[in-house]
Amino acid sequence: MKGFGLRTLVILAGVVALFSLVGAAYTVTQLEAIASNELVPEISAAAGMALASSYAQTMTASDLEALAVNGATIGLRTAASEALSILYRSKTEDELTAILTGDADPMIRAAAIDPIQKYLFTKTSDAEGFVLTDYLKDLAVNGTTHEMRLAAAEAYYLRLTVNGKLSASALEAQATTNDSAELEYAAGQTLAGFYLMSAAAKTQAQLEELAQNGASEGLRVAGSVALSTKLIDSSLTAQEMENTLLADFGAKSQEYLDAYKVALATRFSS
Amino acid sequence: MKKTVLLLAGLALLLAVGATALGQGYAAMPEGAKIVNLGGPDWPGLEPGVRGGTFYSSVFGSGPKKWNDVTSHETTTTRYTGVFLRGLVTLHAVSGAITPELAESYEVSEDGLTITFHLRKGILWSDGEPFTADDVVFTYNDLVFNEDVETDARDVMTLPDGSFPKVEKVDDYTVNITLSMVFRPIFYSLTQNIMPEHKLAQYVHKLNPDVEAGTFNGVWGLDTDLSELCGLGAYLIESYEPDQQVVMVRNPYYYVYDQNGTQLPYYDKIVETIVASQDVQLLQLRNGEIDAWGCRPSDVPILKREEATKGFKVIIGSGVYGTLWISFNQDYAMDEDDPAKAQLRNLFRDIRFRQAVSYAMDKQSIIDNLYNGLAKPQWSPVSTPSPFYAGRDSYGGPITEKDAVVYEYDLDKANALLDDIGIVDTNGDGVREFPDGAPVEFELNTNSGNTLREGFCLIMKEDLEKIGLKVNYNPVDFNTLVTRLLGDTLYQAVVLGLTGGDDPNGGANVYKTDGGLHFWHYDAANNPYEYEKKIDELMNAGVSTYDNDEAFEIYKEYQILFATQDLGMNFSVNQAFTYVIYDYVGNAAIASPITSPTADNGLGREFVFQKPQS
Repeated sequence: MKGFGLRTLVILAGVVALFSLVGAAYTVTQLEAIASNELVPEISAAAGMALASSYAQTMTASDLEALAVNGATIGLRTAASEALSILYRSKTEDELTAILTGDADPMIRAAAIDPIQKYLFTKTSDAEGFVLTDYLKDLAVNGTTHEMRLAAAEAYYLRLTVNGKLSASALEAQATTNDSAELEYAAGQTLAGFYLMSAAAKTQAQLEELAQNGASEGLRVAGSVALSTKLIDSSLTAQEMENTLLADFGAKSQEYLDAYKVALATRFSS
Repeated sequence: MKKTVLLLAGLALLLAVGATALGQGYAAMPEGAKIVNLGGPDWPGLEPGVRGGTFYSSVFGSGPKKWNDVTSHETTTTRYTGVFLRGLVTLHAVSGAITPELAESYEVSEDGLTITFHLRKGILWSDGEPFTADDVVFTYNDLVFNEDVETDARDVMTLPDGSFPKVEKVDDYTVNITLSMVFRPIFYSLTQNIMPEHKLAQYVHKLNPDVEAGTFNGVWGLDTDLSELCGLGAYLIESYEPDQQVVMVRNPYYYVYDQNGTQLPYYDKIVETIVASQDVQLLQLRNGEIDAWGCRPSDVPILKREEATKGFKVIIGSGVYGTLWISFNQDYAMDEDDPAKAQLRNLFRDIRFRQAVSYAMDKQSIIDNLYNGLAKPQWSPVSTPSPFYAGRDSYGGPITEKDAVVYEYDLDKANALLDDIGIVDTNGDGVREFPDGAPVEFELNTNSGNTLREGFCLIMKEDLEKIGLKVNYNPVDFNTLVTRLLGDTLYQAVVLGLTGGDDPNGGANVYKTDGGLHFWHYDAANNPYEYEKKIDELMNAGVSTYDNDEAFEIYKEYQILFATQDLGMNFSVNQAFTYVIYDYVGNAAIASPITSPTADNGLGREFVFQKPQS
């Protein structure tokens, strides 16, 4: 984590006006302007996330694939990747698997993670002794790319959750140490949902602490995902979230910043 | 709001597009219109909406088998017939109370044997023909009570003495229904959907000798031109792709309006896809392909973490129908001359023992560990959604639990009760003994494979061992369990569940002494306890008054008596109702297990609306 001093903070604060917006909804043009500025990557990416649905309706898959690789900023590349994810919903399992395991750019491979869930999560097989959760776990450990392993890990934990096999305490252990980094990450994502339910509820302060100082990436992801919900439901404006990202840029964990990024994206979209 | 319309490769044959020959609707609000004051006392939490838009939903399983409501045997059909048809009365979508529907009002004669229904005037069937008393008389006398018609409705309409109500037209808008006995639950049977006489009489042999007997049973099948279907409900069937999709379109002659004079329903159209599993529905909801869904409790952790980013809300309401409990066989081995078994039987018969079990039941642990927090403590044999549930402060009123019988988790109280009985741990091994030195232990059964019940058994075993009771947990297959319960009376303790309903009388076969499922004390039929006699009196009184407020007080007394003095079943927890709906749908608060026209978690679809984009 880089350390940014007060001088940098002053410089960054000077460009707040670039991001802040007075008034109601953000237009595509305004979001593109924000996404095109990478001074604070999380703000750029948040605008990109908010652009995704518009890009999915107005751009072709090939144009988006090009933008996902060659976009000048993280915001534009994020916009393209997430828009692709929407378009990829019409692809077959084989097509998505080919993307996930091929040599495409990681931003393109990432776009296939969500669409393949409907295949992985409900997969059946006539193979003797086939157990879906075993299959998914094996793929989450041994899949040939990070994105394939992550897709399988997410489907694995989706399956376990729906089967009622999980609890917050079990997930805390699995988000601390697991058979692959992707399984640890997905366990953390899943744990976030439990932290938002009454039985294992955590306060915003606890989630901030977890997102910042959680002992593992999985735990920090749990804190981050749950924290983003708290932030979205709060009265914080887009500008206030941007200010936090400006102030905390370089000073907080990536997971902490991601919580604000996701919340800011929702503000940009509304 | 983006929608991904499901275009399936090789669409099955699209059956006739119906509802195209619709009339233009009422020139003015009909005289008998039903006005709903959304946001008022009867419809709290709701607001008047705006018309327009398409609502997307899905159902898992299979599609309808026919469109004939009277001859239907399954909910896959009544899910849709209940959309385009209506009954004389209905269950209020919020309170579950019986309320007039096609009848504007009704009154009961002094002797309680005649109910006079005053029908809504000026309302029309979807083809523009007037709705009158002829339709009501036709539905009951020529369809439901007609032996030529294959219908389950006939059993539902049969009174306890085996007779049927007599249905007579007084005039075009007045119908008398005469009973042989006062029987309040008949109102639940009078939710029967009314069928159009002008369309269907021709198919009834009794009315048209030119057709063979039984012809009606084949009418309004899936091969029917949908424009032939005629209804009084909020929506009509526009199209159906077998086992793929049902499209419903607003009925221009629906008679319900909001307080602003806006005719319901609000949505112009409903598109409902039929999918293979609830897993697919989860994905549909997450992808924004459907607007709402009655999710499973196990889906909630996934949905909760996404609700803010994806713009939907997870609704966690009060309970659903049904119960989960542990029960002890008070007739255990009563036909045997065995002192050891007799002392166990006597223990089970001691109310202090059953109360101790309730105090030792850690309900919060059950809620947290088995339901992820999505359940509430249950104390009554009557389901939470019932308007007679004693946790309400009045018939159909809000659930306040002010009269709830609470057995808080208290091991000291549990221990004190057992000490009082005289079973104590004399040798310090952690297990209480009977006076003769035998350990207090019993076998606990449930049906193997039911993970919820098995989990509950394990928690109960732990809880009861904390108060010195030794529990030998033994799951068995369901058929064996049922045989034990209903046959040989050799079971000792069991964990099971029962379905529930709106009318407490639906549990008469369980809670009355002569009930076929009064399994914890069948000997009550011969030797009832005083409180069992009282429960019988209350159950009989409950069906003998048409005053629902009076019936509420009667059933409240029954529920409290059962929970304090009977405890033939120690209730545990009741799963919470869970539903998820996108933020752009207005009046989401209508979602509850009461409002659905079918058996699944549902939504009052005529009340929801698409919020205008800001």
